[in-house]
Amino acid sequence: MSSLRTLQQLFSRYKILTLLIAIALIWTFFTWQSEGAFLTSRNLSNLLRQMAITAMLACGMVFVIIAGEIDLSVGSMLGLLGGVAAVLDVSFQLPFWLNLPVVLLLGLALGLFNGYWIAYLRVPSFIVGLAGMLVFRGVLLAVTDGSTIAIESQSFVGLGQAYLPPFAGYVLAVLLFAIVVALTFVGRANRRRYQLPVASVWQEGGKLAAIGIIIAGFVSVLNSYEGIPVPVLLMLIILGAFSFVARRTVFGRRIYAVGSNLEATRLSGVNTRLVKMSLFGLMGLMCALAGLTNTARLAAGSPSAGNMGELDAIASCFIGGASMRGGSGTVLGAIIGALIMASLDNGMSMLSVESYWQMIVKGSILLLAVWLDVVSGSER
Amino acid sequence: MSEYLLEMRAIVKDFAGVKALDGIDLAVRAGECVGLCGENGAGKSTLMKVLSAVYPHGTWSGRILWEGRELQARSIRETEAAGIVIIHQELMLVPHLSVTENIFLGNEITNAFGMLDYEAMHRRAAALMAELRMPQVNVALPVSQYGGGHQQLIEIAKALNKQARLLILDEPTSSLTRAETEVLLDILRELKKKGVASVLISHKLEEIEAVCDTITVIRDGRHIGTRPMGELSVEQIIAMMVGREITELFPREPHAIGEVIFEARHVTCYDPDNPARKRVDDVSFALRRGEILGVAGLVGAGRTEMAMAIFGAYPGRSTLELWMEGRRLSVRSPQEAVAAGICLVPEDRKRHGIVPLMGVGHNITLSVLSAHARHGVVDSVGELRVIDRMIERMRIKTASSLLPIRGLSGGNQQKAVLAKMLQPAPRVLILDEPTRGVDVGAKYEIYKLMMAFVKEGMSILMISSELPELLGVADRVIVIGEGRLRGDFVNDGLSQEAVMAAAIGQTETPPAARAD
Repeated sequence: MSSLRTLQQLFSRYKILTLLIAIALIWTFFTWQSEGAFLTSRNLSNLLRQMAITAMLACGMVFVIIAGEIDLSVGSMLGLLGGVAAVLDVSFQLPFWLNLPVVLLLGLALGLFNGYWIAYLRVPSFIVGLAGMLVFRGVLLAVTDGSTIAIESQSFVGLGQAYLPPFAGYVLAVLLFAIVVALTFVGRANRRRYQLPVASVWQEGGKLAAIGIIIAGFVSVLNSYEGIPVPVLLMLIILGAFSFVARRTVFGRRIYAVGSNLEATRLSGVNTRLVKMSLFGLMGLMCALAGLTNTARLAAGSPSAGNMGELDAIASCFIGGASMRGGSGTVLGAIIGALIMASLDNGMSMLSVESYWQMIVKGSILLLAVWLDVVSGSER
Repeated sequence: MSEYLLEMRAIVKDFAGVKALDGIDLAVRAGECVGLCGENGAGKSTLMKVLSAVYPHGTWSGRILWEGRELQARSIRETEAAGIVIIHQELMLVPHLSVTENIFLGNEITNAFGMLDYEAMHRRAAALMAELRMPQVNVALPVSQYGGGHQQLIEIAKALNKQARLLILDEPTSSLTRAETEVLLDILRELKKKGVASVLISHKLEEIEAVCDTITVIRDGRHIGTRPMGELSVEQIIAMMVGREITELFPREPHAIGEVIFEARHVTCYDPDNPARKRVDDVSFALRRGEILGVAGLVGAGRTEMAMAIFGAYPGRSTLELWMEGRRLSVRSPQEAVAAGICLVPEDRKRHGIVPLMGVGHNITLSVLSAHARHGVVDSVGELRVIDRMIERMRIKTASSLLPIRGLSGGNQQKAVLAKMLQPAPRVLILDEPTRGVDVGAKYEIYKLMMAFVKEGMSILMISSELPELLGVADRVIVIGEGRLRGDFVNDGLSQEAVMAAAIGQTETPPAARAD
C-alpha cells in the first residue's frame, strides 16, 4: 500500500518525466521488435509528421480541457476546413497565400460560433461538440460531394510535405538553444530578486546540457533524412506560442482560473464568458491549421479526413496530464501525449499489428493514464 | 417505561480540538414539542446530527437514551428504524420524481415479483396527504410541481411513512410564506395529539411560542437552560441566547465619517426556485464615506442575497437602484460592479473566493491582471512586486507566493481573497462574513485592516452573524429580518439584545433611523 502511495506521488509530481520514460519504453520495445527499423531517421521523421496534426489539435484542446470543457467537434471541423481549402484551391483557383488566411478565419469563426453556444447560450460543451461533430461532417460531405478532391497548388502541398533545408535546421537549433539559455538566465535573476530558491549552477547547467543534446539530436536526426518537415516546424512554433500564452498572458491565466473555480473567477470581476468563447475560437483556429496541413499532406481533401481526430486529441491531453476536473494541464504535456499516441500508431503499423489491436491498445493506454490522474489526485 | 421518550445526556462533540458541543442535555417526552433555540453557530444543527447519527456513535461522547435504553446508532438508517427522523433545512426531495415516489424513496412497496406496487403506494401516499390536510395534492405528479410549503409537508409525509415517533425539524419555515407556516404549525399540533414528539429548531420565537411545550436554549455549544414554555418571556429567551460577553478585543479607532457616497434603493430579490417569494423585500440603505455599516440578521434573512444583487451576481431575478456619488449605476455583472468601484468578498470562501489550484500570488492579482499586462502579456516582475507588497501588508503567512492557495489556513486564504478584492481600489467594499472559519489572531488582523481601509476613505458594508464582532467594529448597524429592513441603529452603546430583538422581529417599530 505504501509503495503504491509513493508511486502515486511520484506520478503526480513528475508527470512530464513519467511520460518521457513511457516514450523511452515504447520506443525501446518497437525498436527491439522491428529489429532497429523503428529508430531510423526516416521513420522518426515520418512519425513526427504524423503526430503534428494531432498535436495541433491537442494544443487547442488542452486549453479547452484546462478550462473544464470539452470539444468533440474538432475532428469533423478539421475535415470540413481541409475540404473547404481543397474546394477553394480546385474550384475557385484561389492562390495559396489567399486560401490560407481565408480558411484560418473561417476556422476562427466556426470556433467562436461553438463558443457562443457554450458560453452565452449555456448549452453544455459536450452537446455543442456532439452536434458540431455531425453538422460539420455533414457539410463536408455536401461540399465535397462525397469524393476526394486532389489539390493543385504546389505551395499548398508544401505545407504538408516540404522540408526545411538542413542548414536552416541547424541555424534554428542554435537560435532555439540561445533562447533557452537566455530564458534560464532571466528566470534565475528574477528568482534571486524575489528570494525564491534558485537551483544550483550544476543542476541548471545539467538541465541546459540535456536540452542542448535533445535539440542537437532532434535536428541532426531529421537533417540526416531530409530536414525538418514543415508540419513539425509549425507544431514546434505552436508549442512555443501556446506555452507562452499559458504561462505569461492574461488570457492564459484566466483559462486556468476559469477551470479551477469558475464562480470565484467570475466574482473577481473577470468576464468568464468571453474567456470561454475565445477559447473555442482558438480551438477553431487550430482546427483550420490542422485541416490545411492534413489536406496538404495527402495532397487532397477527403470526406473522411479527421475521422476520430477528436478522440486522439482528447486522449493526448489526458495522457499528457491534463485533469478532467479542469484547472490543470500543460501544453508540453499534451504534445508529449500526442507523441505517445503517434508512436503507438506508427510502431504497431510497422509491426503489422491488426488495426483492431491498435484500437484496443490505445484505448487501454487512455484508461490507464486517466486512472493514474484520478488516484494521484484523490489525496487532494 | 422511562418518563422521557428521548434523553441526551452530556453530549460532547469536538472538531479537531474545537468543542462544538460541550455537555448538552436534551429531553423529550412522548407527544411533546421541544423548541431548540440558539444563535447562529450555537451548535443546534450539530446536536441534531449527533442525534440522527449523521455523526455515528463513537465520534462523540455522552449518552443517548431512547425509551430508557441506550441507543448506539451508527447510521441514519438505524435511527430511522428506531423512529427518529430528521428533516433538514435544505429539503431532500428528488424534484423529478412524483410525490409518491419521493415518499417511498428507499422504502418502496413491492409485489410478489419484486415489481413496484404503485397502486398500494399511491393509496398510502394519498392517505398521508389527506392526514396532512392536503388532499388536493396529486401524488402522481412530480414534486417540482409544488411550492416550498407543500414540499415541506411532503417531507413530513415521508417521515410519517417511516413511522416516525420523534420528528426533528431544522428551520422548517425559513423558506415558507406566512400562510404556509400556519399550516405547518397546525400540523405539528395535531401530531402532538397523536403522540408524535418533535424538536423544532427555529429562529422565529413566535413559532416556538405557538407550538412548543418546552424550550431549550444553547449557546456556544453549552446548555443554558430548559424551561416550560410559559415561564419565559421573549426578552428572557433573547438574553439566554445572546448572553455572551464581548471578550474579544476590537481595534476600534476613531475615524472621520463623511458624506453619503453610495446608496442602494429598493433592493428586491426573488427566489430563483420559487419566483413568487421574495428573499429580499425592498431594502434601502445609504453608506457614508469612511463608514463601516454592519448588516445583522439571522442566517437566511436575505443578507447575502442582497449583497450578491448589489454586486450583480444574484442568480435569480432582482430589482434595485444603485447610486454612487449622486450618479445612477448600472450593474449587471460582477465585472461591471468592480468597474463601478464595488468589490465583494464572498461568504463561501471555497466556492466563491479562492481558485484552489493557483498560487497565492496569482489569486491576489486575478481581479486586476490586465493592469499588470501590456498587450495581454503579463509583466511578471511588476506583478510579483504587487504580490509581495500585498502579502506583506495583509500579513499573509505563506512560504512562497507561488504555492497553491488551497494549502493555506482559512485565515490566510481569507486575507488573500481580501487582498484580491482590494486590488481594484474599490470605494465600496462588501464583506460577507469576513471572519468565518478564521482563527482569533487572523480575525484581529482583519479588523485592523478594515480600520485602515476606512481611514483611507473606503466605505465598508460588513455582513456578520457574530453580534459581538458587528458591535465591535461597525459605526452603524442595519438589521435584516425575513428579507425586510427591520432596524437601523447608530452603534453608540448599542446592545446585542436590541439587535437580536430586531432580527427576530420583536420590535414593532424600528428605533428612530439615523437622521441624514
